[in-house]
Amino acid sequence: MTISCKNVAKLLLSEQLQSQKWWKRMEVRLHLSMCDLCSRLARQIKQLRAGARTMSTQAEPDSELEERLIRKISGQ
Amino acid sequence: MEQEAEDMVQDVFTTFLQRLDSFEGRSQLRTWLFGILHRKAMERRREAIRDDRMDPIDDVFESRFDSNGNWTRPPADLERLLLSKEIGETIRACMEGLPVKQRSAFVLQEIEELSTGEMCKILDVSVTNLGVLLFRARARLRECLEGKGFTK
Repeated sequence: MTISCKNVAKLLLSEQLQSQKWWKRMEVRLHLSMCDLCSRLARQIKQLRAGARTMSTQAEPDSELEERLIRKISGQ
Repeated sequence: MEQEAEDMVQDVFTTFLQRLDSFEGRSQLRTWLFGILHRKAMERRREAIRDDRMDPIDDVFESRFDSNGNWTRPPADLERLLLSKEIGETIRACMEGLPVKQRSAFVLQEIEELSTGEMCKILDVSVTNLGVLLFRARARLRECLEGKGFTK
């Protein structure tokens, strides 16, 4: 393999894969198809994203927050 | 902490209402609001003056590979954690440990799904620096999740 696991991990974690030249993206894809450990990392990054989105939808806004903020802003 | 967050939102909206006339587009407005919120968070944590060129998480990342760039400490299997119901709570706890800039970058990218251009404006960083922030945020979150003992 021409690209190292470390470089693949760096590209995956920094979200800079899309800005790479096509041949670099191809190289990474090829690497991922052969490397279980890097594939695991790629999977985790996707799951982390899904988890973060779950977290943000779980955080129910306080129903009285809007009212409290309006009161504060209008100085009442 | 909730009170602090509320005060911050109030601050942002007060400023926003005072300057409402100067806004043209919705995207510009969103960028501006997130920008103010981010700067207020930085002020609260007083992190702006911190030198962020060096970050210990870079060494932690390096220590996972040998000199040829092969994994020596491969990523642990997080399946169990990532499928669990507590995932939201666990990620939230881990996010608390992120420096403000890294946390903002992660939230704007993963939750708010903003474009690279918008994120760079809000955080006042170059595209390269944004990559570094996202890299560090994710590397840190991953290490934190592994440290939560959910690994096999």
